[in-house]
Amino acid sequence: MGIDLRGSRSPRGSLSFTNTAGAVPALATLAKGVGRKLVAGVAGACALIPLLLVLAPQQAQAVPSFARQTGQNCVACHAGGQFPELTPYGRLFKLTGYTIGQRELPLAMMAVVTSNKQKVNDPTQGKTQDGSLIFNTASLFIAGKISDRVGGFAQITYNNYDNQDNPEGRWAGHTGSDNLDVRYADHLINNHQDLIYGFTLNNNPTVEDVFNSAPAWGYGIVPGSTGQGSGTSTILEDGLGQQVAGIGAYAYWNKTLYAEISGYRTGDGVFSFMTQGNGGQVYIKGTNPYIRLALTKEWGPSNAMIGFTHFDVRPYTDQTNLGGATDHYRDTGFDAQYQYLLDPYTLTAMVTRIHETIDSGTPGVSSDTVNSLRAKTSFTYQAKYGATVSYFNYDNTGNGASGFSAVDTRYGSSGWTPEVFWLPLQNVRIGLQYTKFNRFNDTSQNASDNNTLFFYVWGAY
Amino acid sequence: MKTATLTVVLAAAAIGAGCTTLSRSRDLGNPNVPGKTLAQQVCSNCHGVDGNSINPTFPKLAEQQDEYITGQLKMFRSHHRDDPPGFEYMWGISRSLTDAQIKGLAKYFSSQKSVPLAPGNPKLAAIGKQIFHDGLPAKGVPPCASCHGDHGQGNGLFPRIAYQHSDYVIKQLTVFQRTNERPDGVIMKTITHSLDHENMEAVAAYLRGMTQK
Repeated sequence: MGIDLRGSRSPRGSLSFTNTAGAVPALATLAKGVGRKLVAGVAGACALIPLLLVLAPQQAQAVPSFARQTGQNCVACHAGGQFPELTPYGRLFKLTGYTIGQRELPLAMMAVVTSNKQKVNDPTQGKTQDGSLIFNTASLFIAGKISDRVGGFAQITYNNYDNQDNPEGRWAGHTGSDNLDVRYADHLINNHQDLIYGFTLNNNPTVEDVFNSAPAWGYGIVPGSTGQGSGTSTILEDGLGQQVAGIGAYAYWNKTLYAEISGYRTGDGVFSFMTQGNGGQVYIKGTNPYIRLALTKEWGPSNAMIGFTHFDVRPYTDQTNLGGATDHYRDTGFDAQYQYLLDPYTLTAMVTRIHETIDSGTPGVSSDTVNSLRAKTSFTYQAKYGATVSYFNYDNTGNGASGFSAVDTRYGSSGWTPEVFWLPLQNVRIGLQYTKFNRFNDTSQNASDNNTLFFYVWGAY
Repeated sequence: MKTATLTVVLAAAAIGAGCTTLSRSRDLGNPNVPGKTLAQQVCSNCHGVDGNSINPTFPKLAEQQDEYITGQLKMFRSHHRDDPPGFEYMWGISRSLTDAQIKGLAKYFSSQKSVPLAPGNPKLAAIGKQIFHDGLPAKGVPPCASCHGDHGQGNGLFPRIAYQHSDYVIKQLTVFQRTNERPDGVIMKTITHSLDHENMEAVAAYLRGMTQK
């Protein structure tokens, strides 16, 4: 395997690979949720607004042939224009089933061109590490309002550097299903009450979440971003993305308390349309519960959230023996976020901490733990110029408790990713990131060999 | 098989249930949705269900003059008002509203109760109070009260400004002073001509918490 620049369908666990020379560990670049990071912006309302691609309001009078659902600018739903980070209004748009506005042709697309230069690059990884400018990925979104109570999005992603599985070791592209979230929602509101409730069908735990600290949305959101390198991640952080089908119920009371309970099953059979093209199917046993709680508060230009997540899932230890033993993953997460939103300034901050225990389905194998900590802060000016700083810290015990993902090595990693970016148009983002590793493959020795400079041009329509 | 059948049935029921319903509709393109429903389902998300918005980006609409709300929604709909927050948020919202819906929205918010904000800086507010009631004669600035009312309650096309977010007041005064983005407020161009930023801050500090006499 090589660098994973895939926008989605990220594999469970470690992405650290040693190259044939063995001298330097190959950088495992994790592209977290290319499409899905943009979905909140692109799918629901914002990117479905071609008329707002122009700069001057007068020009927007010449509405293009594609009409979009709310007709609003991206900043209405996305903090400082940074898709996919949601504003309070963006969260309400999603929670009410993506149904605000007029039903329009629900199509959108995005594409990303990137250049990835690793300090000590692996020659076998070719253009994915040597700084070449490449067409990285593109997605098609089918998203928007279906009826007054139902809406959602479906995303299909093509990754141009998907795998090197052919005998020549060439990079090959691949298309597959990406994030999907379809909802039924209602909003009971008057001067005396305010209750949103709804149901979601989705294929990735936390994709249905509206908070920017959720693993599906919060970190490494630029398609092709350097992720946590070798760091083994928890199963909640996209270990099962596009492999499972979940149905959940949620409620948001008084814009204060959010509660959700969902059950996830293997995404096959009638649900297989949600998991197509994502490699082999991952099998989990029965219905696996996911709970999410959050408290929110808004005051003046600020808003904040603290939250709790728990996911309990049992993948089969031997994925070819679906009547046999299962591993038992229990993920418990705490997260928080803060936003200051008042033109021309936007400031956001978020932190997510997940602790995972893995009990093996194989007798005699010790349990494992995986810990992840991610934090990020961003600042934008006029929704045009921005900077972010992210921090990641992953560690795991390497007892091999998981038969399904077989992580029997310690793959700790930690580091920082500062970034600057520019939005010349509201639907185009150009940026530069530098990821500095303090620890890679559980050691600080030579960790800096994996430092990566990442340039991107990310556009949507 | 059971799961498949159940899923399909539930999906069909869900979609069907939401197909044609006016109650609690968020459809901005359906002229049959009452203005009050749109106010509660859509406008409330930014302006608050009672019109007392929290984020200063969104002006408070509670107790706003009926005629003023009507006029502004029509200005957004026709794109004649194009200050950036206006076109970024409101052009899309208002584009398909009918006159009847606009009337319903205006009636809804004008009948809400506006709540004062925490008072501004006392020194600034004192200066602002003076400007509001006496104007700035040396600069040729008339009292705000002469059009907006002694209590800032507004009058017809002159908006209520009492209890309004300070940031919004200052930004709109600046729009009037420096741009032509709000042509219906052309009278404000003359009035704001000689105001400096400190004057605007003072008036805004007073307005946010001014008490009814």
